[in-house]
Amino acid sequence: MRPDRLAEKLRLGGRVFGALVVLTAVEWFAARWPGALLWLTVIALGKTALIAEYFMHYSQLVRPEE
Amino acid sequence: MHHAEAAGRLSAHELQNARLGLWLFIVSEAALFSAFIAARYLNLGTSRPEELNQLLGLGITGVLLLSSLTAYRAETCIAHGDRPGFLRNVLWTVLLAGVFLVGVVVEWVEGFHYFPPSTRYGTSFFSLTGLHGLHVLSGALLLLGVYLHGRRGRYGPGDYWPVEGAVKYWHFVDVAWVFIYPTLYLVG
Repeated sequence: MRPDRLAEKLRLGGRVFGALVVLTAVEWFAARWPGALLWLTVIALGKTALIAEYFMHYSQLVRPEE
Repeated sequence: MHHAEAAGRLSAHELQNARLGLWLFIVSEAALFSAFIAARYLNLGTSRPEELNQLLGLGITGVLLLSSLTAYRAETCIAHGDRPGFLRNVLWTVLLAGVFLVGVVVEWVEGFHYFPPSTRYGTSFFSLTGLHGLHVLSGALLLLGVYLHGRRGRYGPGDYWPVEGAVKYWHFVDVAWVFIYPTLYLVG
């Protein structure tokens, strides 16, 4: 086990979670902006990209060594 | 027989196939959720009832996001040989799934009063949250199975595909809610 590497990855997860929380807060306000549907779609796609890349490791499909 | 098979592990090729298969399954599930979400907009446009419990919707959204973090931590811990961290985080994920489902039940009780399934919004609300709730339940049961196997000493670095698969499925359940939450609570 490499504790330093594990701690680094756990910190990365915390940062991604923080970004998701911020985007959810922005979403709350964006619902009141003009063109809300567009803004909410863009934010949802952004959250999906974060989860797919950092939590689901989407890129493993093309780079299996990751 | 490869060394990986002899040890009960997946070879690199098998692991890659398993990942691809799971992703294809996830894409097909995404299509199912997309159809339900599209039906909401086709039936109702962007209107929604004022009686929706916004605080509860935001609260269970936070719970589900947090469960994605604990699921990520569980997978990362077992990948690095930290079994206690893995078990602790899987258990937290299952508990958070339970909290989410309790929240959905509360939503349903309120929903039956203000917008029953026979109304246009109720149809979309109950079908979307019901479909998603079933996925949460199945994901939580999968993770519970992973936890019980993990407690018996299964999995370790290089041998944790069942953990990875269950966790990926759990993240998908979270992604589905990322779209359902604004669709039901925020739009309009």
